[in-house]
Amino acid sequence: MLNLIVCIKQVPIVSELPWDSKTGTLRRELAEGMVNPSCKHALEAAIRLSDQHNGKITVFSMGPPMAEEALYEAMAMGANRGVLLTDKRMAGADTYITSLILARAIKKKCPDFDLVLCGDQTSDSETAQVGPQLAEELGIPGVTNVEKLDLSTHTLCLERQTDDFLEILEMDLPGLVTISPHYYVPRHVSLGGVQQAFDYPNVDILGTDDLELDPGLVALKHSPTKIIRVYSPATEKENIVLKGAVKRIVNELFDRFGDRIGGAMGKDLKTHDHP
Amino acid sequence: MDFNPCMKHKVIRKSVRAFAEAELGPIVSDLDREARFPWEIVEKMRPLNFFGLQVPEKYGGAGLDSISYAITIEELSRVSGAMGLSITVHNSVGAYPIVRFGTEEQQKRFLPSLASGERIGAFCLTEASAGSDASGVETYATIDGDEYIINGTKIFVTNGGVCGLALIFANTDIGPDRKAPSIFIVEKETPGFSVGETEDLCGMRANPVSSLFLEDCRVESMHLLGQAGDGLKIGLESLDVGRLGIAAQALGIAQAAFEVSVRYAKERQQFKKPISRFQTIQNYIADMATEIDAARLLLYRVCAMKDDHMPFTAEASMAKLFCSRVARKVTEKAVQIHGGYGYSKEYDVERYFRDAKVTEIYEGTNEIMQVVISRSVLTRPS
Repeated sequence: MLNLIVCIKQVPIVSELPWDSKTGTLRRELAEGMVNPSCKHALEAAIRLSDQHNGKITVFSMGPPMAEEALYEAMAMGANRGVLLTDKRMAGADTYITSLILARAIKKKCPDFDLVLCGDQTSDSETAQVGPQLAEELGIPGVTNVEKLDLSTHTLCLERQTDDFLEILEMDLPGLVTISPHYYVPRHVSLGGVQQAFDYPNVDILGTDDLELDPGLVALKHSPTKIIRVYSPATEKENIVLKGAVKRIVNELFDRFGDRIGGAMGKDLKTHDHP
Repeated sequence: MDFNPCMKHKVIRKSVRAFAEAELGPIVSDLDREARFPWEIVEKMRPLNFFGLQVPEKYGGAGLDSISYAITIEELSRVSGAMGLSITVHNSVGAYPIVRFGTEEQQKRFLPSLASGERIGAFCLTEASAGSDASGVETYATIDGDEYIINGTKIFVTNGGVCGLALIFANTDIGPDRKAPSIFIVEKETPGFSVGETEDLCGMRANPVSSLFLEDCRVESMHLLGQAGDGLKIGLESLDVGRLGIAAQALGIAQAAFEVSVRYAKERQQFKKPISRFQTIQNYIADMATEIDAARLLLYRVCAMKDDHMPFTAEASMAKLFCSRVARKVTEKAVQIHGGYGYSKEYDVERYFRDAKVTEIYEGTNEIMQVVISRSVLTRPS
């Protein structure tokens, strides 16, 4: 049986993000949570693999107690069980401490795993670091930004797009992949799936003591990354009015903005001489 | 007393909202304009259990509680009132009567195809001279050996144009010179069963509301739901559930109108400031928010009463009366907040306004709701 792990994160729903205008920070406690979109793609990839190879899926999430909801959402989609890592001492963990805790939890709850799947990045911090760091912590090979997976015996064949190249890689299991959000479009959650997830709850909730982490560990204090400030980037609009005859305007338009127009069109406009 | 939604209800809301926004959102205006029923969306809804919301799992349903049911209809209707209507009518007065009153044989035969959405259900009470007054039904089922022969015409049948199975209200003889309404389960391929033209209605235009004709429709006696003469009892109890669905639908439409109004009031500038800074608009928004909140609490409370097996007939009527009124008032204010744009088909509020009105009319008019409520209040021992 294929033993799959998916790591998911609950992130604030973007449309409901309340910003504190004074401090310039997110007021996360006010936002409704959702499963990070990219994690859903990883879960979809896992469900398809599991369906093909008679697998089982354990979903791990680290976050506040409300993140339990994300695990139920994952089980409604098709995961078999969930593990929530939550503890005040875990709060404020950076990507390094997060991957350290995830690795410890995986070794404890699911040591005989075949493949770990993560989203390629989260919508709230976009570091894309937890996946690769988790592979390091677990001491297994890791491949990022995977578009397609194909499993035969114990070798995983992977496809990923890098710049203008399609890379095809092979990886021995156990291993870790992060899934890019293109091929594996997540399925809609079935209502019967939700009912079943709650009828047969299968979520373990673990804290730092359960994981036998260093009793002195306080994530916020021991995270090497310090966030100085979170803020919306300022953007400025400038209106430019081109005047004169049409031909002159068009020429000037392409002289000044040809690069950007070409970039948007995916063409090099410079190669075509315009009269 | 806990007024916070539980985790399951939050996941249900999120899941239905995600589906409705992704699949129905992009086409909802076109469906309304073209008065088209979206079969392609039905295909996507079928595996997600939208057609078997409260049907037991053993027959392929989701087996949801009633608050989950209300949330599902609310969220569908927040995007498309017409699809919210289709799904609630199918589930509440199409499938529920068979779940509640059907024999095991009837449940085994009819529920799986309803729960999978292979057959869409309809409920047929209204006739040219019967509606609020159910005793005016002229459709007749005469017994002939082990069969019934049904003749009559039903009008304003929600899902009529797309139904695969209809529950037909028809009078039957229950004794010498005594007749009473009974309910028959009739499949669309039954010889003599036919569908009339789709009605050209003000709102809910994506739902094919139509007449149904029954000409010498022969059905085996196992198609009779409950006993002969049980029609009124079964019908009224089913309509109680139907009213919760219509209340949820009205609430969803009101919620949609409220959300776009808040957004618009913050964006629309007049006299060099957003109109949300004017007290008149603030008063409108405050009233809308208050009424929607009250409507939602009332509806969920009645749903909880149903699941606790308490009598809920009068309360279901209260929820339907109140939620539909709120929908009419909120959508009207939404049009007003949008000004001229609110009257334009370019904006969704115009559709919400048209869709909301009928929630005060169908599944029992609000005047009938008042009869049910006042009768319950006035006959209580004081």
